[in-house]
Amino acid sequence: MEEIGSVSQWILNIAGYQVVLNKETLIMTWIVMAFWVLFALLATRTTKLVPNPLQSAAELLVGTWDDLVKDSLDLTDRSYFPFICTIFLLFWISDMLGVIPFLSEPTKDINTTLSLGVLGFFVAHYSGIKFKGFKRYIKDYFEPIFFMMPLNIIGELARVISISFRLFGNMMGGSIIILVVSYLIYSLVLPPLLYAFFGLFIGTIQAFVFTMLSLVYISVQIK
Amino acid sequence: MDVEVIVKIGQYTGAGVCMGLGAIGAAMGEGLTGGWANRSISRRSEMAPSFTRNMLVAQAVAETSAIFALMVTVLLIFVDLSGNGICAWAAALGAGLSMGFGAFGSGIGAGYSGSEAIWGTSRQPAIGGQMTTTMLVGQAVCQTPAIFALVIAFLLMFKDYSGIPAWPYSAALLGAGLSMGLGAIGSGWGGGETGGAACKSFARHPRTSADMMTLMLVGQAVGQTPAIFALLVSFMLIFGDYTGSITLSGIVAPLAAGICMGLGALGPGYGNGLTSARACEALTMQPDKSGLIMRTMLVGQAVAQSTSIYALVIAFVLMFVV
Repeated sequence: MEEIGSVSQWILNIAGYQVVLNKETLIMTWIVMAFWVLFALLATRTTKLVPNPLQSAAELLVGTWDDLVKDSLDLTDRSYFPFICTIFLLFWISDMLGVIPFLSEPTKDINTTLSLGVLGFFVAHYSGIKFKGFKRYIKDYFEPIFFMMPLNIIGELARVISISFRLFGNMMGGSIIILVVSYLIYSLVLPPLLYAFFGLFIGTIQAFVFTMLSLVYISVQIK
Repeated sequence: MDVEVIVKIGQYTGAGVCMGLGAIGAAMGEGLTGGWANRSISRRSEMAPSFTRNMLVAQAVAETSAIFALMVTVLLIFVDLSGNGICAWAAALGAGLSMGFGAFGSGIGAGYSGSEAIWGTSRQPAIGGQMTTTMLVGQAVCQTPAIFALVIAFLLMFKDYSGIPAWPYSAALLGAGLSMGLGAIGSGWGGGETGGAACKSFARHPRTSADMMTLMLVGQAVGQTPAIFALLVSFMLIFGDYTGSITLSGIVAPLAAGICMGLGALGPGYGNGLTSARACEALTMQPDKSGLIMRTMLVGQAVAQSTSIYALVIAFVLMFVV
């Protein structure tokens, strides 16, 4: 049971500074990226009016998110669609990666989810300044009354924590449960079902929730 | 007393607390589901086999949190933690408190979702399959706080505390357990209310299913924010550094931080669940206004959450300033 909470790391010394890289997280994230590059190449190599299965899958995915982004933001252009869709694609496959033997979910590492959470935070606030203007953006912090300002700022920062810890906690929890159940019943019968439940089902829901919340935070800022 | 005895006392107490508290919520939720299955049979007796099947599925999911508690209890009784150092007694008791309290809200919540789903199927028998999907998604998301509690319980149990002084670390570990355990109650229960309202509204207006699912998931996810604050405080208490403050006040402060965040997350979690539950019902009345409903829901939830942010700030003050 010692695996709980342990992380394998690469430690590099660059110009006197110690750079710590989480080995597993890096490799697994690259696998996810390679998967999507490969998928995109295969799906779009020969696009036809009557699509092959891969092309229809890609169209379904992209179309669903295009509609969702359009409905939430009410913008005429599609400038936010690539960002939102990419978050979902990255986290979706990341969450499901643990189903395959010898691979593990990069979202089990708080660094992955927190970095995307911080990215979403900056995108949302940049959009807020861009759409509302700097003055109204600042003024919104003093709503409803001026002394709510510190709490509003803490509330905004807390969103980053909540969005990233939600995904991290779910994935970490799933992997710990699988580890402990496998230990208790000597890996008989149950672990594959648990992998399916936490990886495929919970993983898909949480990837959707993360993406939807990033989208909602942007839409709250620009309206 | 030597270390083994003290740690064993902690483990056994934790085991008792964990299973005892963990059995409450799931059983209440399952009872509720069974009751509504009976009511549904009174409405459409010809569909009794399908109601019974749905009832058993819903009850099995609601039981998950109690099974988590059982898992922690079994490990607390049969795994010897005394090799982890003197602090392991508090870690074991904290793990029991975390999982015991943490199973409460999710158990009731999952039962609530299940009962509304069965009642809804009796209203709209044609959407039975989709209703089961909605119910399972709602229940799975409302289990998240229980999963957080399980994470904290396992981190507490299997971290190595050798060479760490008994105080104030023991108090911090107890505080970590209490924070996550109490903090999970409200969000789990509220998430279940939301899931239930989504199932009810789905039965009333089946065509809104896609919007409804999105609204339910966003509402439940935002309603989990207080539980996530509790998770954060628990992480900080477990991995915090308390060297150099072995005074009585230095011992009480981390424990108080845990209690503050745990209780502070209870109300906002449940309140946020109520907000998103009414939002789901509103969507069936005005299916075109989904954007407006979601925005209003988020503003309402954000204001209701501010009290959990007060608790978070005070917990930080207690941990780092006092």
